[in-house]
Amino acid sequence: MSANKIGLIIKREYFTRVRKKSFILMSVLGPLIMAGVLTFALWTSLEQSEDQKILVIDDNYPFFESLEGSSKLTYNVMDISLSKGEALLEISDYTALLYLPKNILQSKSGQLIFKKQPSIKVQRQIEQNIQQYLELSKLKEFDISESDYRRLRAPFNLLTFQFKGTGNEAEETNMLPAIVGLVFGILIYFFIFMYSVQVMRGVIEEKTNRIIEVMISSVKPFQLMMGKIIGVGAVGLTQFALWILLTITLAIGGQFLLLGNKYDASQINAPMTELVKEQVEQEQTIKLNQLSQEDNLFNKIRRINFPVMIAVFIFYFLGGYLLYSALMAAVGSAVDNDTDTQQFIFPITFPLLLAYILSFNVFENPSSDMAVWLSIIPLTSPVIMMIRVAIGIESADMWQVYLSMALLIGSFLGAVWMSGKIYRVGILMYGKKPSIREILKWLNY
Amino acid sequence: MQMKHILEGKNINKFYGNFRVLKDINISIPEGQIFGLLGPNGAGKTTLIRTLTQITAPDSGEIIYKGLPLKAYKSSEFGYLPEERGLYRKMKVGEQALYLCQIKGLDKKEALHKLKPWFEKLAMESWWNRKVEELSKGMQQKLQFAITVAHSPKLLILDEPFSGFDPVNTETIKNHILDLKNEGTTIVFSTHNMASVEELCQNITLINRGENILSGSVNDIRKSFSKSLFQVQFKGSKVAFANALGYQFEIDEIIETPDHTNATVLAHNGSGSKELLTWLIQHVEVISFHEKLPSMNDIFLDLVGSLQNETRPS
Repeated sequence: MSANKIGLIIKREYFTRVRKKSFILMSVLGPLIMAGVLTFALWTSLEQSEDQKILVIDDNYPFFESLEGSSKLTYNVMDISLSKGEALLEISDYTALLYLPKNILQSKSGQLIFKKQPSIKVQRQIEQNIQQYLELSKLKEFDISESDYRRLRAPFNLLTFQFKGTGNEAEETNMLPAIVGLVFGILIYFFIFMYSVQVMRGVIEEKTNRIIEVMISSVKPFQLMMGKIIGVGAVGLTQFALWILLTITLAIGGQFLLLGNKYDASQINAPMTELVKEQVEQEQTIKLNQLSQEDNLFNKIRRINFPVMIAVFIFYFLGGYLLYSALMAAVGSAVDNDTDTQQFIFPITFPLLLAYILSFNVFENPSSDMAVWLSIIPLTSPVIMMIRVAIGIESADMWQVYLSMALLIGSFLGAVWMSGKIYRVGILMYGKKPSIREILKWLNY
Repeated sequence: MQMKHILEGKNINKFYGNFRVLKDINISIPEGQIFGLLGPNGAGKTTLIRTLTQITAPDSGEIIYKGLPLKAYKSSEFGYLPEERGLYRKMKVGEQALYLCQIKGLDKKEALHKLKPWFEKLAMESWWNRKVEELSKGMQQKLQFAITVAHSPKLLILDEPFSGFDPVNTETIKNHILDLKNEGTTIVFSTHNMASVEELCQNITLINRGENILSGSVNDIRKSFSKSLFQVQFKGSKVAFANALGYQFEIDEIIETPDHTNATVLAHNGSGSKELLTWLIQHVEVISFHEKLPSMNDIFLDLVGSLQNETRPS
């Protein structure tokens, strides 16, 4: 029966909030802004393009001898070793070195070592050129039918490396996971802040409305508090899910609008459309697949382990939210109106704010002592650990993640227990604003 | 007559920090009656009600419900209308009423079934889809009353139920309270309005400064506080009336009207109505005669009025 009551409370808290206009507006605006930023980033990276002169090292020489680029992108195919190529890159005016290894037909990937990061447009074009080249060469070998065509498709990944002189191992330069981690970390900050303040407001509302006494003559104060915390948390998760869904939809849509025209696969598909003329519909879907697979930025995004990221996000959002919202519920119960909350909100949310500010440092230096400590301490760990996980944690350091998670669970249980005690007394107290010392005394009432 | 008690509090103590709000309170609420819980502001009434309704736990003492210690949450059998009461302002009236009934343990169908007659009785049917914030204060009070009683509680605790009502609505609510009593509901009625206590309650408990200072039936209490005053209305000479009294009786107050005279007579040494009336009818024409009992208001003022009231936020 009590589970039933807590369910009723959760339901009320959830539905009164998700039906609000502000919730619906936020759910739509958030992804629009995010997708807008993403699309803008993509668009700017496509716009800038310099002439590229690329040294191609073909381990299967002369397989790629007749590789052709465009007026702005020229290839010079050579039969030399990678180290000689790097030496040549250093002294010549080549802008980059494209290494196509011996097993290229199996690995379906090559490496581009550049002096200055080429634009996404260039990277895409290189990929397309090679893919097209491989496909054409395969087409000559095979009998042509639809099933053959499918087998002929050779997706290709381009990994970019910063050239650091000969002899040094080139470093992969994918900043994207870190950026996505930062975005997720900041999202956690906003979500925790936004929704734990909502819990506090809800408690104050019940108190000033004077419905609280009616409610707690029917349910236990702890049930009411937990019902509110869980209900509001569910609203947060709903918002997050909506954002993810809408952002993906919008981003894919934006990608089409932006890239669909420029790189309409006419050149790639020219030989193939002949082959599959009769299967127009199927070809359409193939085109869609190709387009979304071939775009490099989106390839990179796809390489980020989103299931892990989302799972970590949900864990740290929920853990951090439970911790902070329990504290905020206690604050809400102790005061009669919003203006009295300032004195308490600041000290409580300060660690969260600190985590947010320092998240940019952690983004740049994810394995510094500060980053490690902040990612373990429960009040800051939700934001910081999110970023560290996104950037990648070595398996030797995984204990930090487990410790951080265990501490977060422990501290939110502690916070919920303590806040439950304060809440129980606070909700029935009206009149003068209590001091922190008085509030701590309530723990023993 | 042995009374059956639905709810009893035994030696209840409650502290807020070092402040002792309830001091060894004993209280027994007879089943099927309207029971008055009286006391000045800050006496601890609200705290006592909160311990009886399990909103807060007493620091020591025991609460017995239907003969057994009250342990499990019995909210479905209790209905409580607090003095400071409110509603979720943004919710719709019907939605809110259903929610608060479901919280009491009714399922949705039951809640709807039980709310409907109350919405009809109190003429609130048209409010169902309106937002609470659109209702006037009096309307909200009516809605709160309906929500408190809809789940047919066995024990109904009403803290100042008439505050905020106009005389017409006060009468309506009073009649509904009496109907509920006649249907077998026990009602604890906390108020400062002593006239309504005399009108509605059979038994009362008066608490002051956290202590139970008076308990019993309203009639017995009024009799025990009687100062042997008699109210006489008569026609005839004032002098004849005065002569008839002799030394055992004394005129406390006498008022002449064109038709007749009203006199209040104080009896000495336990002299009773029988002697007074025997003498009087020989000298004047007695129109009416009755013993003048003190009002609950007089008793209340007598007991707590002289003490300085401290007002604390409740």
